[in-house]
Amino acid sequence: MKKLITGNEAIAYGALRAGVKAVTGYPGTPSTGCLSSLLAMNLVDTYVEWSVNEKVALEVAAGVAWSGHRALCTMKMSGLNVAYDSLISVAYSGCDGGLVVYVADDPGANAGMCEQDSRSFAVMADMPMLEPATVAETYALTKFAFDLSERIKGPVFLRLVTGIADSYAEVEIEQPVPVSQAAPLLIKDIQRFTKAGAVIATNQHRDLIQRLEQAGQITDEVRLNKLSLSVKPGGLGILASGIAAAYLEEGFEAAAPFGFNREDVSTLEIKVVHPFPVAEARKMLEHCQTILILEELEPLIERGIIVEAQRMGYRGKITGKLDGVFSRIGEYGVPQVVQGIESVLRLGIPENLLSGNTQALKLAAARPITVCAGCPHRGTYIAIDKAIKKLRLKKNEVMVTGDIGCTILGMNPPFDLIWTEISMGASVSLAQGYVHAGVKTPVIATIGDSTFFHAGIAGLVNAIQHQIDLTLVIMDNRWTAMTGMQVNPGTPCNNGASAYQEIDIARIIPALGIEHFWTVDPFDVEETAGVIHQAMTLPGVKVVLARQECAIQAQRQGKQAGKVRVVEENCNLCKLCLMVTGCSAFSLGANAIEIDPELCYGCGVCIETCHHDALVAEEA
Amino acid sequence: MKYDIFFAGVGGQGILTIGEVLAEVAHYKDIPANFYPSKGMAQRGGFVKAQLRLGRENVGPNIPQRGADMVIAMEQSESLKAIPFIKPGGDFVLYSDIWAPTAVALGKAPYPAFAQITEQVKLAGARLVHIAPGQLPEYAGERVHPNLYVLGVIMGQTALGTLIRSEDVEHIIQTRFKRNTEANSFAYRSGLGMPLVVS
Repeated sequence: MKKLITGNEAIAYGALRAGVKAVTGYPGTPSTGCLSSLLAMNLVDTYVEWSVNEKVALEVAAGVAWSGHRALCTMKMSGLNVAYDSLISVAYSGCDGGLVVYVADDPGANAGMCEQDSRSFAVMADMPMLEPATVAETYALTKFAFDLSERIKGPVFLRLVTGIADSYAEVEIEQPVPVSQAAPLLIKDIQRFTKAGAVIATNQHRDLIQRLEQAGQITDEVRLNKLSLSVKPGGLGILASGIAAAYLEEGFEAAAPFGFNREDVSTLEIKVVHPFPVAEARKMLEHCQTILILEELEPLIERGIIVEAQRMGYRGKITGKLDGVFSRIGEYGVPQVVQGIESVLRLGIPENLLSGNTQALKLAAARPITVCAGCPHRGTYIAIDKAIKKLRLKKNEVMVTGDIGCTILGMNPPFDLIWTEISMGASVSLAQGYVHAGVKTPVIATIGDSTFFHAGIAGLVNAIQHQIDLTLVIMDNRWTAMTGMQVNPGTPCNNGASAYQEIDIARIIPALGIEHFWTVDPFDVEETAGVIHQAMTLPGVKVVLARQECAIQAQRQGKQAGKVRVVEENCNLCKLCLMVTGCSAFSLGANAIEIDPELCYGCGVCIETCHHDALVAEEA
Repeated sequence: MKYDIFFAGVGGQGILTIGEVLAEVAHYKDIPANFYPSKGMAQRGGFVKAQLRLGRENVGPNIPQRGADMVIAMEQSESLKAIPFIKPGGDFVLYSDIWAPTAVALGKAPYPAFAQITEQVKLAGARLVHIAPGQLPEYAGERVHPNLYVLGVIMGQTALGTLIRSEDVEHIIQTRFKRNTEANSFAYRSGLGMPLVVS
């Protein structure tokens, strides 16, 4: 059946067609849609979970694969960093059931994280990595990845970039293969499944290298990479990796009016980004006088072909990033194909052929990302700000570390509160470093609920053990919100998702031996500010749990905190409410501020910002 | 046929829905398509863009600059972000709604005037199809949601209307949205310039 699906869903359907037994992962843009689509299917024979973090997700998946069943593990590039400790070790051991690790990279940083090129991780782990050029190819490659994993008996990477992960295209979907009900293998073999001892570890390393070589042979046999040599040798050869290959034909069309002849060009479309396709690359080098490499981010393929060229004594020209033609930053598209052709063939293609007027961009209003109307974090940011003022300090005197997720939005106006963002859970540990460095003012760390469970809890344990003076504000909106509302261990159970055990942060904190612990409602800004102020004056580790459900999720469940009404005759349009809250439900009317009743959740945080009683709470 | 559409707006306007409907029409009519929505990080009110590429097999998701046959922009300032992508001679459809960022509402930051947008569209050599928020019709006493009205205008007044059939668009609208079918049909047909046929 032909379906219109995303690249993420293509992996999900491909895994089902491969009879996948278990799927684990942690949400992360742009990879999230794969696992969430499987969860929405309410599968009976395939186990699907959002794990607490990527390392745990990978270890769960590895257990399934070591027992002889097929498993898929999904994450974004930053998540792969978290999982990597275990992944290197799992790769050394290999696996019996197919184990596919799906990682999504984000060239161009559309989702605002590092432009990390995870292909280098495949090199470091000696794991094969497959990368499609289109959504339709994604489905086929996913099925193949499971077969490859079982043939070499080792885990296999599947890499997408945002442009494929989030794109919708038509894919021919087959019926899922029934999930194997075979008894799990229980293989007791410390030579394979432990690392203790140099003999064990070096033997595994040897096997790992052999598996990678075998993967290269298999992918050569099935001709996964598409090699197309021109009839006449001596011309241009283009190596295009992953998504870059999808722009070739369009680039050729654009260059055609300038004398570019497609027939004279050889192409190698690379789907196996690791191991490097040596045999095919050599054929290109033997056939072509000039080589052009099109790949986003790092010059991985380029380095690979330069090594082969050196070994063969190749005398032609190799163009890519290392000779300065292309940038290591951003996405590729048709312009890069045309630019590459022009740089090697000198056809006289004008530089502005595919560049529009970017002057217009400078006229556009800045639109910093901010929290939604009704977001409980708004109250927490305002409360921290008030607490700082109560201590007669200024915002630029108090370090407030931030973390990943919606909670980071306090870095932007009108709050301008949060100073840092590193990685999941880093706010708590980073704050400790500032204390050790001798910061005299109180240090505050902020973190969300899912982030706390993911990796923040370890940092908190460290702070407690070493008795650091800091205030941790856990902004618990009960959901993993920024990635599109996934459940986490703290999410209340009555949400329609299948059964799980909810873990209450309010019970974890006292169990860690923390004396100064408060749970507050961030919609009550005065109380929250008072508690944070008190915490900042006390020694040791203090934890404030600001708890209120994400307004978007609450509204989806038909909840409404209240209503705020404007008393028009009292409003003098001083805009203080807007200045303090930055709430998108406000707009300026002719005589008074206006509130969009569809956007207002009735959190009431704005009410006390008004000095003229122009904002009043009403029953929802 | 090869036809590329670049979308720009803010989260909450339903602009991605226009792209989804058109992608589904393509799927329904066996036209090769790649639809790449890009939501950024904000749930509501943040910059949203999308790219729909019709008629090419195995196409990359990104439209090159000066490559879009049509731009559909639903927020005045955000429309500027689509200017580099419009093809000379292309249709630049602007629904000139204004979602002022807080700094603009506070008078601390500038916001582009309508005349600045029209000047940029002209410089890009494109044809402006302007839809003012005030021209949205009412259905049962309430203004219709803008996106299906805008979709109607597009089908009635741009080249896309000659490449795909309005009946197919309506078919997808009706199968996709199970609620408010009459209001949706009214919004779409009002945009199209057709009278409402009450069944």
